[in-house]
Amino acid sequence: MKIETLKEEKILNKEAIKQTVDFKSGNEMAALAAAQINYHIMGYYPITPSTEVAENLDEMSANGEHEMVLIPGDGEHGAAGVCYGATTAGGRVFNATSAQGLLYAMEQLPVQSGTRYPMVLDVVCRTVSGPLNIRGDHSDIMMALNIGWVIILAKDPQAVYDMNIIALKIAEHDEIRLPVIVAYDGFFTSHQKRRIRYFSDKKVVQDFIGEFKIQNCSVDVDNPITIGPYMNDPDLINNKKQQSMAMEASYKIIPQIYKEYAELSGRRYSMVESYMTDDAEAVLFILNSAADTARIVVDKLRIKGKKVGLVYPTVIRPFPAKEIAAALKNAKAVLVADRQDSYGGWGGNMTIEVKAALKDDPQNRSIVISRIYGLGGKDFYEEDAEAMFELALDAAKKGKVDVPYDYMGTTPGDPNFKFEKVRGPITNKESSLGIIKVTRDEKTGKLDVKGVKHAELTAMPHRITPGHGACPGCGIFPSIGTFLKGIEGHVVMLWHTGCGMVVTTGYPYSSFNITYIHNLFQNGAATLSGVVEMYKERQRRGEIPKEQDITFVMVTGDGGLDIGLGPALGTAFRNHNMIILEYDNEGYMNTGHQLSFTTPLGHATSTSNVGTVGVGKKFHHKDSAQLFAACHIPYVFTAVESQYRDLIRKAAKAQWYAKNEGLVFGKLFSSCPLNWRHPDNIAQSVVQAAVECNFFPLYEVEHGITTINYDPEEKGKKVNVTEWLKLMGKTKHLLKPEFKGVVAEFEEEVERRWKRLKAMHENPLL
Amino acid sequence: MTTKETKLPIVNGAGFYEIRMESIGGLGANLAGKILAEAGVLNMGFNGSNFSSYGSEKKGSPVKAFIRFCSSDMEVRENSPVTEPHLLALFHENLSKTIPVTQGVGPDGIVVINTSKSPDEARDFLKLHAGTVYCINALKIAIAEKTRINTAILGTICRASGFLDPDAIKDMITKNLGKKYASLIAPNLKTFDRGYNEGVSKKFKPDNKYPYIPFTRDGQKIGYFNQPMGGVIPSGGNSIFKDISASREGWIPVLDISKCTNCGECDITCPDYSFVWEDGIDPKKGKPARILKRIVYEHCKGCLRCVEICKFEALTSHKEFETDKTILEKGFTDGSKK
Repeated sequence: MKIETLKEEKILNKEAIKQTVDFKSGNEMAALAAAQINYHIMGYYPITPSTEVAENLDEMSANGEHEMVLIPGDGEHGAAGVCYGATTAGGRVFNATSAQGLLYAMEQLPVQSGTRYPMVLDVVCRTVSGPLNIRGDHSDIMMALNIGWVIILAKDPQAVYDMNIIALKIAEHDEIRLPVIVAYDGFFTSHQKRRIRYFSDKKVVQDFIGEFKIQNCSVDVDNPITIGPYMNDPDLINNKKQQSMAMEASYKIIPQIYKEYAELSGRRYSMVESYMTDDAEAVLFILNSAADTARIVVDKLRIKGKKVGLVYPTVIRPFPAKEIAAALKNAKAVLVADRQDSYGGWGGNMTIEVKAALKDDPQNRSIVISRIYGLGGKDFYEEDAEAMFELALDAAKKGKVDVPYDYMGTTPGDPNFKFEKVRGPITNKESSLGIIKVTRDEKTGKLDVKGVKHAELTAMPHRITPGHGACPGCGIFPSIGTFLKGIEGHVVMLWHTGCGMVVTTGYPYSSFNITYIHNLFQNGAATLSGVVEMYKERQRRGEIPKEQDITFVMVTGDGGLDIGLGPALGTAFRNHNMIILEYDNEGYMNTGHQLSFTTPLGHATSTSNVGTVGVGKKFHHKDSAQLFAACHIPYVFTAVESQYRDLIRKAAKAQWYAKNEGLVFGKLFSSCPLNWRHPDNIAQSVVQAAVECNFFPLYEVEHGITTINYDPEEKGKKVNVTEWLKLMGKTKHLLKPEFKGVVAEFEEEVERRWKRLKAMHENPLL
Repeated sequence: MTTKETKLPIVNGAGFYEIRMESIGGLGANLAGKILAEAGVLNMGFNGSNFSSYGSEKKGSPVKAFIRFCSSDMEVRENSPVTEPHLLALFHENLSKTIPVTQGVGPDGIVVINTSKSPDEARDFLKLHAGTVYCINALKIAIAEKTRINTAILGTICRASGFLDPDAIKDMITKNLGKKYASLIAPNLKTFDRGYNEGVSKKFKPDNKYPYIPFTRDGQKIGYFNQPMGGVIPSGGNSIFKDISASREGWIPVLDISKCTNCGECDITCPDYSFVWEDGIDPKKGKPARILKRIVYEHCKGCLRCVEICKFEALTSHKEFETDKTILEKGFTDGSKK
């Protein structure tokens, strides 16, 4: 039989407008569209799998290929704030995020739509935590159905490009003026390279979208306005009615814009795409990349004479209910496949909405089956699509469905399987070696630590076990492992999201012999505060023996201390009995080395590229130890693994302070051979060089009194910062003559901070 | 680069020629896959796609890259991994110890393997049902040319495929290195040529020596009946059961206990907690002390931090394939032989 082709393929490409053929991924196409549009501002925060969009734009920016200003937020909430502010100031704004990032930003998103500032946000769909998973499903985007943004979908890299251009035109349309999300599948689309076409001349894109019409501008001094008033009940409902009217307008306008785009590009989109549905008895309704896989199966089943069809929308807000009902009017059974669940709603959100759409057509007698599939990025094979069609065919034949709602692709498991016991708990006795003695001088109030014998401390049981998946030479594990040698007795740890967390706890394995908790890195310090206070309260109530003692340690990367700084400072202000350890490797290594606020000036990262105009990171490094010192907590320290006796000594002190006084903050400078780009074996030399050049001074602040523990100048070991910078690939460019100015500025800042620290060391009042 | 008209020698039922690369993060399989796919689509006129497996992989963890080619007028709609590759490339032979890398490779399949073994040895090592085995010592070439193994393997893949145009791939290698790494272009092209020319192949017919390993998604032992509630892992520390020796890229530290002073610095610097210590007697002082016994090679990733830190040459670095197997089994040498 003859296989019908989609409408998009029937249109001949216009030869008049030149398009370039290339081979690119979804994220590359999103970045390309944004660069061609030449947005004014992108506010962003890195999160897999959307990060590459900002990375690609930064690389293009470093080589002068567009003029966009890229602003790294302190988290997605901050990034959304940057975007909101920027849209009020009269320009075009872009952002990209995924999963938790979308949820963390979400508080800001109804503000964006409710005050009617258009922008475009790419949601690269990924599973919402927890447990943490970085791969693609639709649990994030379905949370965004109620935020008042137009949501359009892109099933492949070509559509990502096209929809990004279409999205801005929708957003800025006079009758709409709403922000728009372009949603595409994480990894399946974001990281898959396909043959694509794009407009060779960016002017074609810019002309299609048209001039930006400024409305309600926050920086127009001739027309001062009040943006975001307090609005009571007589009025708010009317604001929302307007929003709803704008959404209704978009429902009419989107097909027009699709048509205009088809005339320009030769690629036509419909709000609802349907394939072989006219005579289909069983139809599959499925979103984005999986729809492509399903289409292959339709062809295969049609050859076997099975009457199956496929429906997938390219817009889900506004929901094209009429078009969907029309496409399904002849179907005896419809299987709606949701890559997420609305737990307790007897289907994912698309099931619920398709059922509602069909209810509006009194003639429709379709049986609706709901199947949840592909969660956490579980691959969707042709045989999975075939199983869905068979289910729908069966229901169509029988005129009923036995199990209307279920999961597909789950595993019951082997009933005989049991987790193999590794060892019993690490007892207080075996981890209380008594090698290190901490005593407090009653007169001076200072702590004295004796017995830091690292060879003897090899007897300390490993709280973290071998077999973790960190990169060869990783600095996290020597740093944290050595710290733990100085901690006696029971330990409970909380680790923020980051490399250290991901490589230790890949299910069903864990590298922790002690109790370990993960929470997302916005909130670890607050979470551990809760653990500590519950423990203490249960001790007070006699539910836990009073003599029992646990040392609570939170571990974060420098990234977790960017996005999670607020709760960490709150924890410091409340002075809980716990330790916060930051392993600072100067970047977001878990997502592929984007800049963090601790990345030093001029260092190259994937979002501070070096190129014809890019000079690496553009602002100075955050000093987190001084931030916590300013909270007046009992003990703050810095340490490196290369000076391990100092590190172990500080661990012992940290434990004493956490037990007796309150919060301890420790900053460990930790190498990342992969992204710092130095050989795996020289990690210790590299961090030590950072100490010798005064970039990372070793000091402690006890009750506000600063003591420098190692003064390279006194030891005659002081080196120039370039002696450190030359060891790493990420800073090699700084040794070139054209970067002299950057290095001078960096060195000046390093020296200024060092001199300030020395003054504090010399004067107990500072 | 001008487009040449080339036909695919064989395609599956869906119309694709499919390639799967099995590697560990850091060896450049992802980039090799990209170069290969770009060469096919942009320089040879095929349509196609390319993606990699993603989890939370770091350097040293298993990764897969997939490449599909089809005729230019066919649309690519596949999004799932390659399950029955026409060509399988193994960047790291030790992966086969923990991963069923040969799944789906049939009698017409081609297996390119980075190894110092002969095709017969490699076939037995992989327990390969049948197919054509191409052996290439990519590590040796990469060390000699000061490049990475991925370009050498690309050369062998190109030769083994029988249809890929070496000029098309070399053009893409050049473009990918670009201006940024211009000095690496010449050594990489040489590495490619050596990979192309130095591969040794042999075809094995199905002889019932080893069974065909079909692709399967079954075998998951923990499911919704027995997964502990909330995703909790009740048995912490179980990563100790994992063998992560495939993370090594060719080098290992060797511990000579006759030179060791039990100073403990290696234990501080080891990211993988691979050193085993016991209570004992310090041979020099005659007093009770902690004594370093051995390296657990299942957990060693070969970073050589310990070799760098050891002041006594008790730890030295060696090429793994040249190292006496008994040292790997015992975890040390007593200095009597090397």
